[in-house]
Amino acid sequence: MATTSSPSVPDTVTDDQGGRQRRRVGFSQKLGRLDVKLSPYLYISPFFILFAIVGLFPLLYTAWVALHQWSLLDGEGGWVGLENFKHVLTQQYFWTGLRNTISIFLLSSVPQIIIALIIAAILDANLRARTFWRMGVLVPYVVAPVAVALIFRQLFGDPTGWVNEVLSWVNLGPVRWGSAVLPSHIAIATMVNFRWTGYNTLIFLAAMQAIPRDLYEAAIIDGASRVRQFFSVTIPMVRPTMIFVIITSTIGGLQIFDEPRLYSQTGDGGADRQWMTVTMYIQELGWRNQNFGRAAAVAWLLFIVILIIGLINFAFTRRISSERTKAPKRKKVRA
Amino acid sequence: MRKTTRKSWAVAAGVAGIALLATACSSGNGGGSSSETKTANPDEKVTLKIQTFNEFGYKDLYTEYMKLHPNVTIVDDKADKSDTARANVETAISTGTVTEDIVAADVDWMPELIDHSDFFADLGSIGASRWPDWKAKQATDSSGKLIGAGTDSGPEAICYRKDLFQKAGLPTDRDKVAALLGSWDEYFATGEQFMNSPAGKAGAAWFDSIGALSQGMINQLEAPFEDPSSGKITVLDANSPAKAVYDQLTSDKVLKQSAHLGQWTDPWTKAFTNDTKGAWATQLCPPWMTQIIAGNAPDQKNWDVAPVLPGGASNWGGSFLLVPKDGKHVQAATDLANWLTDPAQQAKVFVQYGNFPSAVAATTDATVTAKTDTYFGGAPTGKIFSDRFAAVAHQPFRGAHYFPINDALGKAYTRVDVDKTDNAANSWQKFETDVKNLS
Repeated sequence: MATTSSPSVPDTVTDDQGGRQRRRVGFSQKLGRLDVKLSPYLYISPFFILFAIVGLFPLLYTAWVALHQWSLLDGEGGWVGLENFKHVLTQQYFWTGLRNTISIFLLSSVPQIIIALIIAAILDANLRARTFWRMGVLVPYVVAPVAVALIFRQLFGDPTGWVNEVLSWVNLGPVRWGSAVLPSHIAIATMVNFRWTGYNTLIFLAAMQAIPRDLYEAAIIDGASRVRQFFSVTIPMVRPTMIFVIITSTIGGLQIFDEPRLYSQTGDGGADRQWMTVTMYIQELGWRNQNFGRAAAVAWLLFIVILIIGLINFAFTRRISSERTKAPKRKKVRA
Repeated sequence: MRKTTRKSWAVAAGVAGIALLATACSSGNGGGSSSETKTANPDEKVTLKIQTFNEFGYKDLYTEYMKLHPNVTIVDDKADKSDTARANVETAISTGTVTEDIVAADVDWMPELIDHSDFFADLGSIGASRWPDWKAKQATDSSGKLIGAGTDSGPEAICYRKDLFQKAGLPTDRDKVAALLGSWDEYFATGEQFMNSPAGKAGAAWFDSIGALSQGMINQLEAPFEDPSSGKITVLDANSPAKAVYDQLTSDKVLKQSAHLGQWTDPWTKAFTNDTKGAWATQLCPPWMTQIIAGNAPDQKNWDVAPVLPGGASNWGGSFLLVPKDGKHVQAATDLANWLTDPAQQAKVFVQYGNFPSAVAATTDATVTAKTDTYFGGAPTGKIFSDRFAAVAHQPFRGAHYFPINDALGKAYTRVDVDKTDNAANSWQKFETDVKNLS
């Protein structure tokens, strides 16, 4: 309605053209300015609205639950302040869970990134049937985690799995994959590495393909060997990608759940909590013991741990990126 | 054009929003409307959703029921395992939402549901006299309201390997074996004899793990973990009967007879195919265990069933059907639960699937008692389990903390017997910590 009535206005007010124009420009300008200022926020708002609903709200609500006595079936049972946190922190199990999580995380992420870098470097070279090899490394990632867990449970069977069988050929006694702490962590880390190495390899490969070839040519003219090229050209050039891979695998590693849960039939992380991770502890507190208050407290503690490790990562990132800006400078001088 | 599309989008969004609100309200009012449909006419079309787990053997019965009642459509929502079903039911209780018209529950987590018996409809109309007292009691709350209709049961016998018994110079005849294993003391004494025999020396064990035996021995106690009148946890008290069981099972004499294989683990499942080394001679055997043994070692022809349980008849496992009170078709669901747990249907399930009935009339049904099992050397399993069932006099008291305590106790046994990470005293201390954490 408003739009049909406005054209009739200029017909009646023909004498004051300047005023009309000014008024019009003023309005559309205002709209335009609003458009420029507001619409970017509108365009990104769906994500933030969704994040507020499925990210921020659960986070805050979990904090609220953590401050209460809260049973799975009965719901809220009264304010207890920091009692849940105190109880959990004075319990050995939380620390056991944290130990297992960090141990599995280190055993998986560190070798994973090193191996992924090496494989990516090999794939970056001129191979025959390049696409075949590149697709090949991604195959383990496509396999469902449950299937991976089933296969590895057979491999690391205790005492009669295939790995123990192979070890017995070289006269190594059966390793207690299913009951000793470190062997079980290694077995689970192997599962994680199996799935994620290929994925990280492809990310590294993409980064390596973006390295200007003339850098390598210059290195070859300087007489650098393949290994020297890898350490002096390839690695410095993929640093930003490495930071990305390290951060994502840190977050994923600290929240590890599927693999340790599927590692045994009962899914409880071992009778002595040999491979019970923090996330599994949350589930045990919440659903087996039906104590949501304590489960929420552990969830928040895990959040804080990830935050701390994230901050450490960030500090590293800054250092590495400042090194990166130095690196090309040096190269310029050399060239 | 553009304007109209934008407008229609706005309209669509508005309608969607209102629809969301409406559905949100209607689910909240689910309880109110149920009373109206309850008295609706019996020929009205109803869809009943029933959640079971593992194998209840109801597939053919659903078809049969739908033929008998053309207005009823049954939707089979089978959970992959009991844990998933438990989580689903408890989520339903905690959020007050009803998605299933009938839910199945295992006896191990019935206490938690009885604690919230308000959520479930009273099935008293079916009549508790269909089941023996101990079975009905497992589904009755403190005010006497029956919330579950018993499906199967697990009267225990002893399964044993004839070849290993023969190698050890022990009798192989069912009744003679039964006479040998009347009490736990006799059972462990025979075990010692077995371990010193050629069979034991060749690497065979007497039983799989002490955790498995504990299931039988704990179920023979009156009140293993909690005080029946107050619900207080008593398992850590000085005179706790469960501690006595624990001490006996973790003694050196008993541990020596174990194959050190945790029940349900992959090595345990695989070990059923072992011939002598790594095999074990006896196994606590409710009817459902016979199916597991036969499934794990289809080529092993030496298993048999002895009609005995050391220390007296007892029951291990069994399930119930429950009807959430706020479901849309409570009456129709109750009728279906009634029909499914009727002795005639329970007998059919046993004959076809081997799930042993819990209705008294079904356990004495001719089709049930006549059943024999060729895998177990033609043993009259129907008759044996029927007798074992009749001999069960009571079941232990299970309070609200039964499930986690039993779970923690199982882990305590595993630490000593299977993982060997702790000695008996240390492991009990860890168990104490676990139990104290529950409150």
